[in-house]
Amino acid sequence: MRRFSDNPESFFKIWRKSLPVALSSPISAVVPTRILDRSEVARDVILLGLEAPELVEKVRPGHFAMALLPGGQAAGVALGIYEARGERCSLLFFLAGDRTHRLGALRIGDRLDLVAPLGNGFDCEGAQRDIAIVAGGVGIASVLLPAQALLARGARVRLFYGARTAERLVEAERFAAEGCELLLATDDGSRGYNGVVTDLLAREDAAEAILACGPTPMLRAVSAYAQERNIPAQLSLEEAFGCGVGGCWGCVVPIVRTSAQAPSFPPSDADGSDVVHARVCVEGPVFLANELRW
Amino acid sequence: MVDLSKFDVSARIGSLVLPYPTVGLSGCYGSGAEFAPYVDLSRLGAVVLKSVTRRPRMGNPTPRIVHTPAGMLNAIGLQNPGIDWYLRHDVAKFAQTPCATIGSVAGFSVDDYAYVCERLAARSEIAAIELNISCPNVAHEGETFACDPDLTARVVRAARATTDKPLIAKLSPNVTDIATIARSAVAAGADALAVVNTVRGMAIDIHQRKPRLGNITGGLSGAAIRPIALLAVYEVARAVSVPILGQGGIETASDALEFVLAGATAVGIGTANFADPRAPMTILDGIVAYMAQRNVRSLRDLVGAANTGFANINQFEGDEG
Ligand SMILES: Cc1cc2nc3c(=O)[nH]c(=O)nc-3n(C[C@H](O)[C@H](O)[C@H](O)COP(=O)(O)O)c2cc1C
Ligand code: FES
Repeated sequence: MRRFSDNPESFFKIWRKSLPVALSSPISAVVPTRILDRSEVARDVILLGLEAPELVEKVRPGHFAMALLPGGQAAGVALGIYEARGERCSLLFFLAGDRTHRLGALRIGDRLDLVAPLGNGFDCEGAQRDIAIVAGGVGIASVLLPAQALLARGARVRLFYGARTAERLVEAERFAAEGCELLLATDDGSRGYNGVVTDLLAREDAAEAILACGPTPMLRAVSAYAQERNIPAQLSLEEAFGCGVGGCWGCVVPIVRTSAQAPSFPPSDADGSDVVHARVCVEGPVFLANELRW
Repeated sequence: MVDLSKFDVSARIGSLVLPYPTVGLSGCYGSGAEFAPYVDLSRLGAVVLKSVTRRPRMGNPTPRIVHTPAGMLNAIGLQNPGIDWYLRHDVAKFAQTPCATIGSVAGFSVDDYAYVCERLAARSEIAAIELNISCPNVAHEGETFACDPDLTARVVRAARATTDKPLIAKLSPNVTDIATIARSAVAAGADALAVVNTVRGMAIDIHQRKPRLGNITGGLSGAAIRPIALLAVYEVARAVSVPILGQGGIETASDALEFVLAGATAVGIGTANFADPRAPMTILDGIVAYMAQRNVRSLRDLVGAANTGFANINQFEGDEG
């Protein structure tokens, strides 16, 4: 049978351990929304505000949505839920390909169906009071809700935020306004530290816990940093999705079998190892750095 | 809303009668349960479960999915817990699925197929067995079966000997003459044919100068393969008279009707579920609306309706003229 880890470093709460039930979780649904506002917060970066009162109540930090493209004909787009307050949720995304361009072409008043909320998000209930949030590029879209939750609990939240250029450091001021301390990095030095954000992280005082979302190389560096120093780190992973709801096994990542997030699978014939492939969309997208075997 | 009770949209696959002709495809609709929050599964004809093998499989490295124009490439690599675990932990749950659950069997030898088929078919939760002899994503072995009429026959015959439940052979489009394979499968005892699995393909990242899929090659699905799949159904329908589960890029009711008119008794929806989990139900509604408009009482009257003239011509002109 399934074994659960008694990982002393884990500050995930027990609710994670009911993962199999999440498969038929009644909280996720097809949510019809309407576009309330649309702005291009930087070149090729779109912020879509959606009227979605029922979703606001359900969303937890780190949850994501599958945005179903109007007219179909292409897989939905998995996006972190950026804001959720009052009647309004929002999505923040880069115009990167055909599917995101179709989303970006939506106008105020248009309808957009979401499958949401999805995934196991960040646990913000831990006892730690000094938190580093590390975000790279579009990863910023998944960390506002956890930042707000942590700040509301009275934690000190430092946002380590990296992007290619100053222009790409979208929404940084928004995080400052919420109460985060900003530590910015750009590849070209046009704003903040000249270099990668994980180098900036290593130069500053260590936090008690880390939450991160961004491109895989950044997450790997955060993971290495955190494990060297024994800092618990939760990473929100990026992976190509098919269904987004656990039905296709297209989105996996290797994790230790003893993880509370490991799907109930027998030892693999291939390597007889203690590693299993977990689905980023169901078991994740947030995983503990020390449980990943990628 | 059209009154469904006035129209017969049932689909017969061997001894199994599906109330609706719309089927969630293997690897694309989970076990059904994953989609239960979004749809009424009792309005699905059946779900074909993810393929299961004799031993557990980790599957391929990531990326396993690449979105391509009008479709996607996948190379999952048959990740599954193996038949022992599957029977012990998973199959009992399928009893709760509000539609028929069709087991899918994959393997690397004739014996593998027979072994897994026998054990899976023995379970009451499983309404029928699909033999996935056409998976393009497991090095060589997986697809060779459906690419060779003799190997196809040997797998089907071995599986046939283990069960009386309806047996569906899932054919590959990556062959020169699918009609020959179809005849061979039917002669060996297949009750129905699933036509077709994915088309082999690949994509390359020009910045990193390497293939985009962890497995290098993958299977193309979605609208991009629809005309290929439709022709395959058409050719198979001309060659054999067993029911065909048509599939490959079906997104709308009109796509589904094309497959029915080409000779499909039922239609499978795979990749379209990723664009909208409600796709099978929307397609069912559209099929019924089409029937209502044209006063077609039974979907059976449409099966192969675009095919008859051609079949007659063949009697005079010989087959591959
Ligand atoms: C992500 C993914 C996983 C699949 N896994 C399986 C599988 O395990 N067994 C199988 O027989 N077919 C599998 N298929 C093939 C589909 O069942 C179907 O035959 C094919 O995708 C064509 O239909 P579509 O264009 O509607 O998707 C898979 C397809 C996709 C896209
Ligand atoms: S995207 Fe289908 S299982 Fe995760």
